[in-house]
Amino acid sequence: MTARLLATVVIFAGLEGLIFHSGLYARIIEPDSTTGFMEVQIQNEIRRPKLDHNQVLAVGHSRQALLPRIENEKKPGTGYTFATIGLGGTTPRTWYYALRAVDPHAHNYAAILIPEDDYNEADTWEDESERESDLHYLISRLRLRDLRDYPWTYKSATRRWTALEGIVLKGTVYRQDFQEFLDHPLARIAKAEYYRHDSAGWYYGFGGDARSLAGLEIDWTRRTASHFPVAVPEAEQKRIIAELFPGFPPDSGREVAYRLYWYRKILDYYHGSGTKIFFLRVPRAPTSPPEVPPNPNSAVRQLAGQPDVIVLDEHLLDPLERPELFWDALHVNREGMIRFTEIVAAEVRKALGPPRP
Amino acid sequence: MLFQTQQFFLFLGVVLILFYSTPLGWRKYVLLAASYYFYMSWIPVFILLLLALTAIDYTAARWIERAESPKHRKTALVISLSANLGLLGFFKYYNFFAENIANLLHRPSNSFAMSIILPLGISFHTFQSMSYVIDVYRKEQEPIRNPIDYALFISFFPQLVAGPIVRAREFFKDLYAWRKPSTAEASQGILLLLLGLAKKTIMADQFAQIANAYFQDAGKHPGMLSAWSGTIAFGIQIYFDFSGYTDMAIGMAKLLGFHFPVNFRRPYLASSITDFWHRWHMSLSRWLRDYLYIPLGGNRGGTLKTYRNLMLTMLLGGLWHGANWNFIVWGGYHGALLSIERMFRRGKPEDDRWTLLYPVQAAATFALAMIGWVFFRAATFHDSLYVLGQMFAGASGEPLAIPKWMAPLALITLVLAVLEEKKGWFERIAIGPAWAYGAVCALLLLSVELIGFGGPAVPFVYFQF
Repeated sequence: MTARLLATVVIFAGLEGLIFHSGLYARIIEPDSTTGFMEVQIQNEIRRPKLDHNQVLAVGHSRQALLPRIENEKKPGTGYTFATIGLGGTTPRTWYYALRAVDPHAHNYAAILIPEDDYNEADTWEDESERESDLHYLISRLRLRDLRDYPWTYKSATRRWTALEGIVLKGTVYRQDFQEFLDHPLARIAKAEYYRHDSAGWYYGFGGDARSLAGLEIDWTRRTASHFPVAVPEAEQKRIIAELFPGFPPDSGREVAYRLYWYRKILDYYHGSGTKIFFLRVPRAPTSPPEVPPNPNSAVRQLAGQPDVIVLDEHLLDPLERPELFWDALHVNREGMIRFTEIVAAEVRKALGPPRP
Repeated sequence: MLFQTQQFFLFLGVVLILFYSTPLGWRKYVLLAASYYFYMSWIPVFILLLLALTAIDYTAARWIERAESPKHRKTALVISLSANLGLLGFFKYYNFFAENIANLLHRPSNSFAMSIILPLGISFHTFQSMSYVIDVYRKEQEPIRNPIDYALFISFFPQLVAGPIVRAREFFKDLYAWRKPSTAEASQGILLLLLGLAKKTIMADQFAQIANAYFQDAGKHPGMLSAWSGTIAFGIQIYFDFSGYTDMAIGMAKLLGFHFPVNFRRPYLASSITDFWHRWHMSLSRWLRDYLYIPLGGNRGGTLKTYRNLMLTMLLGGLWHGANWNFIVWGGYHGALLSIERMFRRGKPEDDRWTLLYPVQAAATFALAMIGWVFFRAATFHDSLYVLGQMFAGASGEPLAIPKWMAPLALITLVLAVLEEKKGWFERIAIGPAWAYGAVCALLLLSVELIGFGGPAVPFVYFQF
């Protein structure tokens, strides 16, 4: 009986390893899925030629508005090459593992740019540390050795178990993707191949959303929009108001603790490498919200004095908080992204000094 | 605690470890404690009902043995049957009868209704319990002396919720002459567990999505093609659901050194409805035959009485499934088909299965079984008639959207079923070389991981009975 059980375990582990842990399946993930988009971004960044050490990489979510092309076209004058692996819906845990994937020896980059929605890091209704979706973003990049730490970064036993199971049995996370693959296997393989070859160019050429909220007036006291541009439909108006005034739970320091943990992991990862870690506050809203007293204990402020940490002035991007530079409540538009890139790149260059020869 | 959940596998692992690390004499206590824990993981208070029925039937059987006169023996039997049927009737059928009486009296249908939760597995354990007491009454079974042994017979967790319905003599033979499972038995047990898990999560739960989409609002999917595809999806769901459960139950029992009767033998390969009932839910068919059909007279009282007995047995078999006119109609439909077949086959021997005509016969039987499933699945009789109307008189319409990979999967299972029927691949693999056994088990595990249903665990269909 032992031989039979052993044979079962060995063959199963072999198949699991061959398909999922070898990276074979990662080559045919649906590129437009959460996991697939993350993988495409990481693969593109890994393949991007890095001719010198003067590389600046932006991580972050959808509000990280850096357009590398805008800055790189000036490169002969600046000496720095910008790139981004920002991905909508991600949080610091995802950024850490993405950085580890694109920079396995922690020596590729002169600087890493990390966005913050607000340097006060107040709690939101969602506990980001419990996001199961992080497992889906990262599944193709998590290794068996991550069993030591990744699952334990969740608080609940259920999430920990899901993460543990997902890392060992990756098929449980890929299940939906695999079933869709079975429906159109050849088309999927062709699509994945197409993205592998061409997507770097598309994403690099992305210019941002051209829409604008010009004319929007926000009444911060009454927590509403007093005037909307004519072109914004009613449903969109409601969404904008909901996003501008989400309401916050009593602050327990949960968000700060989460960010502090993962920022420290990123700092530790780059410790001694000479890579500078920049924090920047993204433009918060189409008009500047009223100032609130600063939280001196936020993660960013706690880390501000550490070597290789550069916290950009939190008001640096306030000039972009204008309705004509936003296309919805949270995201700057094409023009906003261009200005964002120019302002941030200039600050980064200034802080880094002249590029290394 | 559903069989296909990690929670259950953890439970099973703990039970197996405790069972085999305990001295032989104590093992039944481990199994009884595990069985009660399993039962109480749903609604703990219903354990009182299980204990009460256990006590009544245990005592009744002992009373029957000791009774000096036939009258007293009969009284004990009647008390036991009344308790079982009374509780089953109350929990399962009260609202059905209350609603029909209210309708007859032209009162609102919920006039006499009560809020009743059906205790888990009541239809199965009462039938098992009744068969024991009847066997004792018939002197075909010695009464069990040790109440713990009897309690374990009634509550044994692998088959407590949905069978197979085990006869007392089979169970106690294993309990009293327990021997460690051989390598072949343990191999079969594990393979059955995995096969059952695959049947449930890959086939049943995936096809359930299609069947549910259709039957929840059949009016949204008019046409013959969608009616047939929704019904066939349910036919696939219910077979793989119930036989998957049974495979797991039999597999677990094997691992614990017990041997349950086979409950399904590839029913969709049947060449007639009679053959279908020799292959579908065999432990219930056997129960109905031994405790209903034969006591009614079976086929001994002439042609008409035989048909009457067949119809009564199948109508009650239908009603056993649920308190709903649809189940009665379903039973009646099968009773009528069995009678018709008997009428045409009278005096003729059973056909050899593998003839040129077999594929046609099997396809026709499959279609007839599917028609019956309409009554089984539709929420109301009216809905059943609508679906049947669409199946036979609807416009062609569009088939339901079924993921492309599911059709080849159904075909593969058909090929495997035919191979099992002719070559017995399952038994061969269970005793075959370790690498072949390991490969099949590994493929089953990988299939469950990748193409099993990914949503929340879906309860087994027969858990509602």
